[in-house]
Amino acid sequence: MSKTKITIAVTGLNNTDNPGPGVPVIRSLKESTEFDFRIIGLVYETLEPGIYMEGLCDKIYQIPYPSAGSDELIDRIEEIHLREKIDVLIPNFDAELFSFMKNEDRLLRSGIHTFLPTMKQFQERDKDKLPEYGEKYGIKVPASLNLGSQNQISEIKEKFEYPVMVKGKFYDAYTAYNTEQVKQSFNKVSSKWGLPVIIQEFVKGTEVNVIALGDGQGNTIAAVPMRKQYITDKGKAWGGITLSDDKMLEITRSLIRQTKWKGGMELELIKTVKGEYYLIEINPRIPAWVYLAVGAGQNIPEALVKLALGQEVAPMETYKSGKMFVRYSYDIIVNLEKFETIAMNGEI
Amino acid sequence: MKITDEVRISDNGFVFNSRTGDSFNVNPTGLELTKLIAQGHDFDTIKNMFLEKYDLDDLTFEKDFYEFIALIKHHQITSHEDPLDFK
Repeated sequence: MSKTKITIAVTGLNNTDNPGPGVPVIRSLKESTEFDFRIIGLVYETLEPGIYMEGLCDKIYQIPYPSAGSDELIDRIEEIHLREKIDVLIPNFDAELFSFMKNEDRLLRSGIHTFLPTMKQFQERDKDKLPEYGEKYGIKVPASLNLGSQNQISEIKEKFEYPVMVKGKFYDAYTAYNTEQVKQSFNKVSSKWGLPVIIQEFVKGTEVNVIALGDGQGNTIAAVPMRKQYITDKGKAWGGITLSDDKMLEITRSLIRQTKWKGGMELELIKTVKGEYYLIEINPRIPAWVYLAVGAGQNIPEALVKLALGQEVAPMETYKSGKMFVRYSYDIIVNLEKFETIAMNGEI
Repeated sequence: MKITDEVRISDNGFVFNSRTGDSFNVNPTGLELTKLIAQGHDFDTIKNMFLEKYDLDDLTFEKDFYEFIALIKHHQITSHEDPLDFK
């Protein structure tokens, strides 16, 4: 049977020590038995490793950061679309999601399909709204306090026991054992990610994660739980193993059912010694460890593409537990001409 | 008490709990004990088997046995409430 040819544009080719999900998403797509994907890599920086990985992308284009303005970004995507006829776009950065969600209809009118959460779904799971989210959907979450200024740091003592987590609105988390350390972390986080800075109760336990895909109707199309086995100093998984944990799947399905989540997601949970689960974060996109789910039997990026194209996808209910991934770093030797081409032409 | 369904025991002594993601190495005696528990043998049967096979007394077996049971319970390899309630 011949495979259907489809063109996919993917961002997040930054396979660094804080890896974007682009490269593993592309690897997952390449394992499809139904589609023959032509891959268009979209990069912000000229040194994103995915540019230089042989056989990964068929074509690469540089795009402007969303901070330059949503219109600039979408104009550039449409310009690329005129040349490449993109069928589906898979954005992989938190920071760009807003622009793509906002312009979903415009992209669709041009013929570019996406499968993203709605603005409501995206905004209500914001870190600074986690307590309300937990209450609304019946999930335990750590107690938290949003700090709008340094003056509020004194309130921590009244509400929490040290240590506490100091978190940025979008990224970064530090453990602080006293007021001094909170101040230091507050400055670090607020200068990078703005306000509020979120103080979260420190929940002792094991960090576990679920990668999932919701069809936007309340159905869980895919869900695979994982435990990080090796964590980098940036808190990223450098090794992990799939788990057989019905409770984690139940939490995921319940959340997707209630929120009618549309698109890929990652639930970050803490499992305490008592076996309780606390939701600490929801990432509204496919995480960088997606290839583990494929290895365990659920090709989430392929299913996402089908959903984006309006095809029916049956829920994937089984996967292999005890499947592991181990990340590694690798040096690619690159000729200057390649770097020069992407730097000068914005495409390669 | 039983070995939880999610636990896999290899013949070389590698024990993997797919619910927690933990893995352990047990020595040949630990492996033998774990397998006997997994097969559903009760305390007296296991004790008699060990006393017959090895040069050890009742008291030493009991002490080491319950210590081992407490350890595997701690690591969620078994499901039961009290390590002393081993039947």
